[in-house]
Amino acid sequence: MNSKNETTVLFDALGPKGRRNANIAAIASAVVILGVLGWVAYVLYGEGFFESSRWVNPLDALVVETTWIPAIVNTLVAFALGSLVALVLGVFIGFGRISRFLPTRAASTVYVQFFRSLPLVLLIWVSFTIDGHFGFTTDTLGWSGEARRLTFLVLGLGIYNAAILAEILRAGVNALPPGQAMAGQAIGLRHGQVQRLIVLPQVLRNMLPAVLAQLVILLKDTSLGYVITYPELLHSANIIGRDYSNSFLQALIIAALIYFAMAYALSKVVVFAERRMRKKTAAPKAAAQLESVVAGGTAGTVV
Amino acid sequence: MFDNFDLMIEALGAGMWTTVWVTLTSYAIALVIGMVLVVMHVSPAFPARWAANAYTQLFRNVPLLAVLFIMYFGLPKVGIVADNWVWALLGLGMYTGAFVGETMRSGINSIPLGQSEAARSLGLTFGQSLSSVILPQSVRAVIPPLGSLLIALVKNSALVLAIGVPELTARSRRLIEDTQSRFDLWGVIICVTVGYLLIAFVLSYLVRIAEKRTAFVR
Repeated sequence: MNSKNETTVLFDALGPKGRRNANIAAIASAVVILGVLGWVAYVLYGEGFFESSRWVNPLDALVVETTWIPAIVNTLVAFALGSLVALVLGVFIGFGRISRFLPTRAASTVYVQFFRSLPLVLLIWVSFTIDGHFGFTTDTLGWSGEARRLTFLVLGLGIYNAAILAEILRAGVNALPPGQAMAGQAIGLRHGQVQRLIVLPQVLRNMLPAVLAQLVILLKDTSLGYVITYPELLHSANIIGRDYSNSFLQALIIAALIYFAMAYALSKVVVFAERRMRKKTAAPKAAAQLESVVAGGTAGTVV
Repeated sequence: MFDNFDLMIEALGAGMWTTVWVTLTSYAIALVIGMVLVVMHVSPAFPARWAANAYTQLFRNVPLLAVLFIMYFGLPKVGIVADNWVWALLGLGMYTGAFVGETMRSGINSIPLGQSEAARSLGLTFGQSLSSVILPQSVRAVIPPLGSLLIALVKNSALVLAIGVPELTARSRRLIEDTQSRFDLWGVIICVTVGYLLIAFVLSYLVRIAEKRTAFVR
């Protein structure tokens, strides 16, 4: 929609010659793109990429039942628990950053700055490695290996994304018109009550698109469970690929497509939430401010 | 705690250097890909727009690790073989390129319509209004988010350890799993953390300088 507006202003409306040129450009680019795709397909065909057995074998009913479905479930479990930890921790730290109590503010700021600059894969792997260096291990709790791996994957995902969600929430608090908090104080609410009853609900609703966009990234990041051999989707695809070594590439592509479907569905929810929010938000200025925050948030938090 | 300190610093320093140059090289690739995507996005030829859109959606919704695996472990199965360095740079670059493209596009869209209307009504041609009115403003709008993409790329570059590129995380992992256990776990963890914080601080300092250099004088 935006690019259309832009073209109508930036370009003159095309005349007959311009339209002809545009059509020629469209056809030429279509030929180039189809040519490249066709050449790739031809090369892949020559290597037997499209042989049906290579696609059917890793999708055997038994494999689907014993590996693909548990893998998807494991990925979704890690995603759900990870986002729960990240959201709860993120709310506390986000509000800690604007606390009136200096030590809380300082600690939250250090937390955010620290964990935002470390790679998630390092966090997951370090927390998995230092287990047992605190005098007790999760082994003594009688946990299975898989539960242990899940715990550390969720911890890593939660700790890292909490730092980013905290920043998103803080931006949301700053974007909220100050009159809201003032009105709360005017009717005699204490500071904590203002934050809990007035600021937090509005911020959560306003920042929903940005938060959901970050959760899409968290979903993709569950694939990092690979480094601690948590049996999530990518890890399982690797195992299947090793069993059917002719279908290694195919198994990875199937996994990528499943990730794509899940992330794409979730990002559609983001678009839906954005549209709903724009309808519900009365103040257009706040919405516009928010949009820039959302754009910055989604662009700035790629992992 | 810091047993064999010199050995550790030597190994981690090499890893840090790898992280930095992998990051910067793949960022250069990402910038080129992003620019191509922007041109395709605003071009009047619709197949080009569709292709750019498909590319962006694909790389935004598939995990980077899956991309790297498909390239390094998958493609040799169809006869496409290259070094892990090549795939690391290409994978990081292509993945980040999709995000760079989106950022640049939103930079162009963030310039109020009135600006291009004003330029057009002054009688500037499309090329003139783009080069002397729209682009100078959008470049400034785009530098901060491009900077945060660079910082994110530092963190993403740790993923290339999965295809055997010895960057900072991979090196620290090797130190801890050292068979003669010459290195203390906590010492390595502290050093690798400091390494990443250093890279992040230096880069964000440079980004801030770039922001200031290009800022409007209002």
